[in-house]
Amino acid sequence: MTALTQAAPTQAKQRAQRRHMSDGALVRLFIFPTLIILILWNVFPLFYSLYLSFTRYSVIANRAPEWIGFSNYTAILSRPTFWQSFATTGVYALLSVGLQTVLGFSLAMLLRQKFKGSGFITTLTLIPMMLSPVVVGMFWKLIYNPSYGIFNFLLNPTNPRLATDMLANPVSAMLAVVIVDVWMWTPFVMLLCLSGLNAIPDYLYEAAAIDRASAWFQFRRITLPQVAPLLLIAVLFRTIEAIKAFDLMMGLTGGGPGKSTETVSIALYRLAFSGQFNTGQASALAYIVLIIIICISNVYIRYLNKLRGE
Amino acid sequence: MTATTPRPTFEQSGPRLPVVESIRVDRVHPRARIAGSVRATLAIILSLISLIPVFWIVLTAFKTPTDVTAIPPKLIFEPSLTGFVSLLSDMRLLSQAEQEERSQQPDLSWVDQIALQIGRAINGPSQYARQLGNSVIIAGTSTLLSVVLGLLSAYAFSRFNIPAKGDLLFFILSTRMLPPVVVTIPIFLMYRSIGLHDTHFGLIMLYTVFNLSFSVWLLKGFIDEIPREYEEAALVDGYTRLQTFFRIVIPQARTGIAATTVFCLIFAWNEYAFALMLTTQNARTAPPSIPSILGSGGIEWNTIAAGALLFLIPVVIVTFALRQHLLRGVTFGAVRK
Amino acid sequence: MATITLQQVEKKFGSAYAVQPMDLTIQDGEFVVLLGPSGCGKTTTLRMISGLEAVTSGKILLNGRDVTWLHPSERDIAFVFQFFALYPHLTARENVAFPLQAQSVPRDEVTKRVNEVLKLLQIEHLANSRPAALSGGDQQRIALARALVRRPSAFLMDEPLGALDAEFRETMRAEIKRLHLSINATTVYVTHDQVEAMAMSDRIVVMSAAVVQQVGTPAEVYYDPANLFVARFIGSPGMNLLKGRYSEGVVSFGGSKRLPVPAAWRAAVDQVTQGGGELIVGFRPEAASVRADGELEATVYASDLHGGFSMLHLDLGHENPIVHVRASRQEIYPIDALVRFSLDPNMVRFFDPRTEKALQPVAEVAL
Repeated sequence: MTALTQAAPTQAKQRAQRRHMSDGALVRLFIFPTLIILILWNVFPLFYSLYLSFTRYSVIANRAPEWIGFSNYTAILSRPTFWQSFATTGVYALLSVGLQTVLGFSLAMLLRQKFKGSGFITTLTLIPMMLSPVVVGMFWKLIYNPSYGIFNFLLNPTNPRLATDMLANPVSAMLAVVIVDVWMWTPFVMLLCLSGLNAIPDYLYEAAAIDRASAWFQFRRITLPQVAPLLLIAVLFRTIEAIKAFDLMMGLTGGGPGKSTETVSIALYRLAFSGQFNTGQASALAYIVLIIIICISNVYIRYLNKLRGE
Repeated sequence: MTATTPRPTFEQSGPRLPVVESIRVDRVHPRARIAGSVRATLAIILSLISLIPVFWIVLTAFKTPTDVTAIPPKLIFEPSLTGFVSLLSDMRLLSQAEQEERSQQPDLSWVDQIALQIGRAINGPSQYARQLGNSVIIAGTSTLLSVVLGLLSAYAFSRFNIPAKGDLLFFILSTRMLPPVVVTIPIFLMYRSIGLHDTHFGLIMLYTVFNLSFSVWLLKGFIDEIPREYEEAALVDGYTRLQTFFRIVIPQARTGIAATTVFCLIFAWNEYAFALMLTTQNARTAPPSIPSILGSGGIEWNTIAAGALLFLIPVVIVTFALRQHLLRGVTFGAVRK
Repeated sequence: MATITLQQVEKKFGSAYAVQPMDLTIQDGEFVVLLGPSGCGKTTTLRMISGLEAVTSGKILLNGRDVTWLHPSERDIAFVFQFFALYPHLTARENVAFPLQAQSVPRDEVTKRVNEVLKLLQIEHLANSRPAALSGGDQQRIALARALVRRPSAFLMDEPLGALDAEFRETMRAEIKRLHLSINATTVYVTHDQVEAMAMSDRIVVMSAAVVQQVGTPAEVYYDPANLFVARFIGSPGMNLLKGRYSEGVVSFGGSKRLPVPAAWRAAVDQVTQGGGELIVGFRPEAASVRADGELEATVYASDLHGGFSMLHLDLGHENPIVHVRASRQEIYPIDALVRFSLDPNMVRFFDPRTEKALQPVAEVAL
C-alpha cells in the first residue's frame, strides 16, 4: 500500500521529466554557447597576450616567444614617445569629454521643455553618433581642407586660405580631432542628461516654487544633484571611449602631424602592426591601457556610489 | 444640474499622482513664453549647425570633382552621379581620341555616359562594391548570431537562479570594455595559426562575440520587464519551459529584439579596427576601405562622399526608427527611459 | 494671517471645465476643507490659489491684494503635497531649511528656526535622515515642518493624509488640527474623505463635476444638504432618498406606503409640486426609528452590526431603493421580517426631482 502510493509520484515525475526538459538543462543549453565563445574569443586571448607581454616576440619573425620578464614594460615606461602618447590621450580625453559634458548638458537644458518638433530635433542631433567614426574622420578631412573645405570658409568667408590649416599644425590638429569628437558625441551626453532631467519629478519644482526658490537656486539645489548620477555615467562612458579612440584619428589625421594626435591606441596599432611588428611590447602596452581603463572606471564607480548616497 | 455637466477626464480616480498636466502661473507668463521660444530657436539653430557636416556629405556626393574643389565652396551646382559611378565601378582613363570616339557611339548606357563626362570608361564593378557586399554578409550574419545567442542567455539570466549570476553577468559586461586593440594581437595570432585570418567566418565570430555582451545585457533588461505571470500561467496550463519561451517570451520581447538587432547591426556595420587588422583582401569590409578610395588624380572627394553616403543612409534611417530605444542601446541597457 | 478671496475663478483644460466659475471667501484663521470625489476640481482650485496652476479667468485675492498672476513664490503661502514632495537628496533638516536658504536667511537664523519647528512637531530625532528612510507619517511631518518654518500667511494642503496608512491618519489628523488651533493660520485643505472634512473643518466646500455644490459648516452640510449630490455624498451611508408622489399633504411611495409631510414643509412642497406631483424625500438613517406604530412598513433586506447600533437595510417594495435605518443593537431582525418605522419630522428633507435642489421651508417665513 505504502509502496504503491510512493511509486506513483515517482513515475509521474519521471514521465514529466521525459516530457519537460529540466530547468537546469535548459539553463545550461541557453547560456553555455555564450559563455564558451566568450571564453574562446576573450578570455583566452587575454591570457595569451598577458603571456606575450612578458616575451620578446614578433609575429613576422619565425622565432618562438622568448621569456624576458618585465623588460617590455620597463622599455615602454622608459620611452618618452609612449609617455607622449599617454599625454596626448589624456589631453584629448579631457578636452573632448569636458566640452561634451558642458555642451551636452546645456543642449539638454534647451530641449528639456518640449516644443513643437522638439522630438524630431532631438533625433536629428543624434545622427552623428550613429555614424562610422572612420568615415566621419575621413570626411571631416574634406571639411577641414584649407582651400576648398567648408570649415575654413565659414571661419573666414572672404579668404579661407588665410585661416589656419586645421590639420597642418600640432595644436590645431588636436583641436580638429576634438571638434569632430565633440560633434559626434555631444548628442550622447545630451541624451543621458535629457533622460536624467525628465526623470526629475515635477513636484520637486512645485515644492521649490512654493518654497520661494529662485531659478538659479532651483538649478543648483535640485536640478544639478538630481542629474549628477546620470551625468557621471555619461562622463564615464565617454572617458573610456576617448581612451580607446582609434577610428576617428585614423580617418582624420592618422596620428599626425608628427605624433601630435597619436593616442595610445594608435601607438599600439603602429607598434603591433607596422615596422618591426613588435608583438611582445605591443601586448605589454595593451595591458597598461587595460589597467588604466580599469582604474579610471573604478574611481568613477566609487564616486557614483558615493553620489547616490545611502 | 450635475448630471448634465461633462465629467472632466484629466484626473483619474483613486489617489492622485502628482499632476500630469500643469500650467503654472510662471509658465504662462509672457516672460516665460519668450524664454521658451528663445530656447526653442536656439535648440533648432544649434541642431541645424550640427547637421552641416552631414548635409555637406550629401552635397559632395552629388558633385563633380571640379565642383568639389571649387572656391568658394559651391552650394548650388548641377547634381551629378559621377561620384557613385566611380565608387562602384572600376574605370580607366580615356585619351582625347578615345573620348571623342565613344561620344559618337549611340548605344552608350547612362552609366557609361556619366563615366565619359569625366573622361573614363568602365571596366567592371569596383573593389568597393565587393567590400560593401562583405559588410552586408558579415554584419548581417554576426548580428543574427549574437541576437539569438544573446536572447537565450538573457532569458536564462533573467528567469533562473544561476550560481554566481552577478559575477557571470559582470564578466560578460567586462568583455565589451576591452579596447579592441588589446585583444587584436592574440586573436590575430590565433586566426593566423588556424587559418581564420581574412575570412568571413573569422570576422563574423569576432563581431558576434563583441556584440554578445551587449545583446545579453540589453535583452535581459527587456525580458526583466515582461511580467513572469504570463509564463507561469502558461506553465500551469501545461506548456513546457521551452514552449513558453517561444510562445510567450519571444513575442513579448519583440521590440527589445528589434532594438538589439539594430544596435548590433550598427556596431558590426561601422566596425573599423578589427576589420583593418584582421582582413586584407578577401573579407575586407567597407569601413577600412573608404579611406583608401583614391582616384588617379589625387583624392576624389565626391567618390568618398558617395561611399560615405551609401554607407550612412541605412544608419540614418535606423536612427529614426530606433529613437525610442537609443538611450538604452548606447548605454548598454544601463539606463532605461 | 490672511483672507483668501476667489472671484469668478474658473479653469478649463481645452474645452472641458476643471472648475466652473466659483466665488469663495475664506476668512482669516479659518480652516476650510474642499471636499469632493476625485476629479471634481478641488485640487485644481487649491493649485490655482497657490499659483501652481494658472486660472483661465477670474481673480484671486490674498488679503485684498490681487495675486492672480503672481508666481507661487510671491504669494506668501505654503503648500503641503499629497506625496510630500520632499527633496530626496536632502536630509530632513536640509529639507526644512530649504525655503529659508532660498531666501538667503542668515545661517544662525536658519538653524534657530529649523530647530524650533522640529521641536514643535517633535521630530528632532529624524533631522539627519533622508526621506527615503522614513515612514509616510514622518515624511509628512517633515513636509509640514517645511511649510511651517516659513511662517506663511496661509497653508494649502492637498490631501496631506491621502498617502498615509489608516493608523497614521488618525494621529496626523489630530496633529494638524492641533497645529491649526495653536498657530491659527488660514488653512485650505483638500480631501475626498468626508470624515476628515467633518472632523477638521470650520467650513466645508463640497465640489462635484467642477461645480461648487454647497458651502457650509459641517453641520449644515450634513443636515441640510443643498442638493441630491451633497445628500448622497455626505454621510456613510448617505441620506436615504425616496421618490414619491405628493398630493394633499401626503407623499405616497406605492401601495399603502404613505408619509405625511410635516407642517413646516407643506407650503414649500405645495409650491414646488403645484399642489401635486413627484417629490423626493430624504432622511438620514438616524432620523428613522423602528417602532410598532411607525407609519412606514418594510421588510428586512439585510442587517449588520456597527458596534453601538445595527444598521437595517429595508425594502419598501414597489421599486423603491433599499433604505438604511439605524436600529437597536439588542433587537434581532431576521431577513424578510416585517418592520415598521417612523421618521423624525424635524429631520426629514425634501428635494425637487427636476432641479435636484433641496426645498427651503418657506412656511416659516410665511408664518
